[in-house]
Amino acid sequence: MRRIIAQARKELTQLLRDRLALGLALVLPVALTALMGTTVSLTVTNIPIVIQDLDQTPLSRQYADAFRTSLTFRVVPLAPAAQPETMLAAGRARAALIIPEHFARELRRHRPVQTQLLVDATDGNTAKLIRGSAGQITSAFVRQLGGAPVPAIQTATRLWFNPGREPRKFYGPGFLVLGLSIFPTVLAALAMSREGEQKTILQVYVSSISAHEFLLGKILAGMVVGVAQCSLLALLMFTLFGLRFAGDPTPIIAGSALFVFCVMSFGSMVGAAIPNQAAAVQAVALGGFLLAFLLSGLIFPVENIPDGLRWISNFVQARYYVIIVRDAFLQGGGWPAVWWAVAAIGGIGLVFYALAWRTMRRMQVKA
Amino acid sequence: MRDALRRLFGGRFWALALKELRQIRRDRRLTISLIVPPTLQILLFGFALDSDVRNLRLGVVDDSRTAESRELISVLTQNRSFRLAAMYTTADLLGKDLATGRLDVGVVVPYDFARLRARGRPNTVQVLLNAANANTAQIAQGYVEGGVAFLSRDVAGIRAAPVELRTALLYNPGLVNAWFIVTGVFGTLIILNGSLVSAATMIREKERGTVEQLLMTPASALEMITAKMVPLFVLLMTMVLLVIAVARVVFGVPFRGTPGLVLFACACCVLSGIGLGTLVSTFARSASQTQLISFFINPPLAMLSGGLTPIEAMPRWVQPLTLLNPIAHFSTIARSVLIKGAGLDVVYPNVLALIALASVFVGISAWRFRRQLA
Repeated sequence: MRRIIAQARKELTQLLRDRLALGLALVLPVALTALMGTTVSLTVTNIPIVIQDLDQTPLSRQYADAFRTSLTFRVVPLAPAAQPETMLAAGRARAALIIPEHFARELRRHRPVQTQLLVDATDGNTAKLIRGSAGQITSAFVRQLGGAPVPAIQTATRLWFNPGREPRKFYGPGFLVLGLSIFPTVLAALAMSREGEQKTILQVYVSSISAHEFLLGKILAGMVVGVAQCSLLALLMFTLFGLRFAGDPTPIIAGSALFVFCVMSFGSMVGAAIPNQAAAVQAVALGGFLLAFLLSGLIFPVENIPDGLRWISNFVQARYYVIIVRDAFLQGGGWPAVWWAVAAIGGIGLVFYALAWRTMRRMQVKA
Repeated sequence: MRDALRRLFGGRFWALALKELRQIRRDRRLTISLIVPPTLQILLFGFALDSDVRNLRLGVVDDSRTAESRELISVLTQNRSFRLAAMYTTADLLGKDLATGRLDVGVVVPYDFARLRARGRPNTVQVLLNAANANTAQIAQGYVEGGVAFLSRDVAGIRAAPVELRTALLYNPGLVNAWFIVTGVFGTLIILNGSLVSAATMIREKERGTVEQLLMTPASALEMITAKMVPLFVLLMTMVLLVIAVARVVFGVPFRGTPGLVLFACACCVLSGIGLGTLVSTFARSASQTQLISFFINPPLAMLSGGLTPIEAMPRWVQPLTLLNPIAHFSTIARSVLIKGAGLDVVYPNVLALIALASVFVGISAWRFRRQLA
């Protein structure tokens, strides 16, 4: 135990003397989570739309105004001679609403009128949002006219956990996981591969420390840094993202401790296997960052990944941590909802630790 | 002018360029890192990032238990957006499962559903949505309301709504998400891999101390840096062709516009990447440091590009920043030209911006590199 603490103290001292690494450890996760959590969103507002009003009557203008007043759309002017299609092709508008001639006359005669919406579907998700809100605006307009009867079935929709549908409340916790996946891992990989690259590992080999003590010392130091990162990131969630613990905070506390242990073990494993700092960082960047970013359900749901790839996500610790973090900040399901995710992180962490120990256990110079 | 050109591309330049090319060729790791990660990344990103909303788990409390209520449920579950996960006896149980994440959507059908409908009286169905994911919630809400509206129109058997909005989806009528992601990730790949590889080759001379040998040659600093960049440029353009092939063959991204325009934009992107990598290498002392520094640069560069998520969805104050990002311009060009079939007359502002950014990056990095040699 004394040797573990001594090893951990040595690691922390070394970290404190490396300003680049310290910045990487404390500043970058917070900065990155803040930047990405606030900027990444799929819900576009203020979409440029052109309206070609071929009718030019008070009623058609009232219909156009319904689009103008919505938060989703921003009407951009259409030059008199221009065609709406060219505005779409030029990327100056994302959608075009075409109101036909005799719009008002037909409506007054209670005859059905068709208006057309051209949508730039290059971005499929935005196209769906545009189609959805244009439809809603149109039916609201019709209701306002008193033309349509009250629909036979109405829906009373209640949005749980994020009633304002604020994207940052979803992506903030997501990028917290990303920040916590990259930087502790990189630090651990660096600390381990540095020993190999600078041959200081020989000093470890000749000392009386065992492989377990050596690894645990490194991981303990990493966990101190990791817990500091966690607290900083939690502070960020409370302030910038306006989140609170929705329920019992013990699952996220246990989950975070295990997650930091898990990524530290992963980093140590990579660092022990690759005794070259540049290569180790690259491996961690590819393995840790890409997997955490793509296969954890951070931005897009895991269920959408094709089966051939999705099974990999079962071994990605970040996937489980995303569930725990979102549950803690948004849903508040507590232990009954996430116990299995906490257990999975612990299990994956133990596997990584065992693998790291396997590469280190002989404490021998590689032949 | 001709004199200057001859001096630049004279024997000395070729000798240096050949040396670089051989050095790269003999570094197998570099060649592999030019081929494997980009291919892997574009495949992973294209397949894994899909914003489509489907297979949402639907829970139902059916207090009515009539043919009408079952019809409502089957209307909701007949497309691939929702799948029926479980039926519940009370709304409380449903709420509990929604809170523990076992459900995404809950629908509560009231006990008098069939009776009110037979009398043609308004009828309210309660919909509970897990809105933690704002985007999914918005689209799911649209689907539920659409399904219910369809049903109520169907039953009432009355006239269609007086204003019918016909939507035409242009350019990507099948709403293939991979097209958006692949064309967006493309630029990110070029810049990130380009800067990684060029930083690695640039830092090597510094790390191994062979800069001294370079200084001993009669070559000028300009010759040296051009000789370093040209082979990298050629190699990275090969990588670009590889990625284009994957985008075309695996993801079926349409090539509606002039391919030459996209290739030119790729070239500008490659140059920006080389410039960025060289710049990073002038600040670092070792290979691992270049990679740590790039951790500060790459993620914001990749995320603030509109490559993965639309720029319009970013906060207002961030949007102007993307104008300084070569990836953002590249994504616009790639999407406009490949998917929409636009020509130079449409994308010229982005092309000009890309040229400007590439020259700025290359210029600053060449200046830093020269100063470092002196």
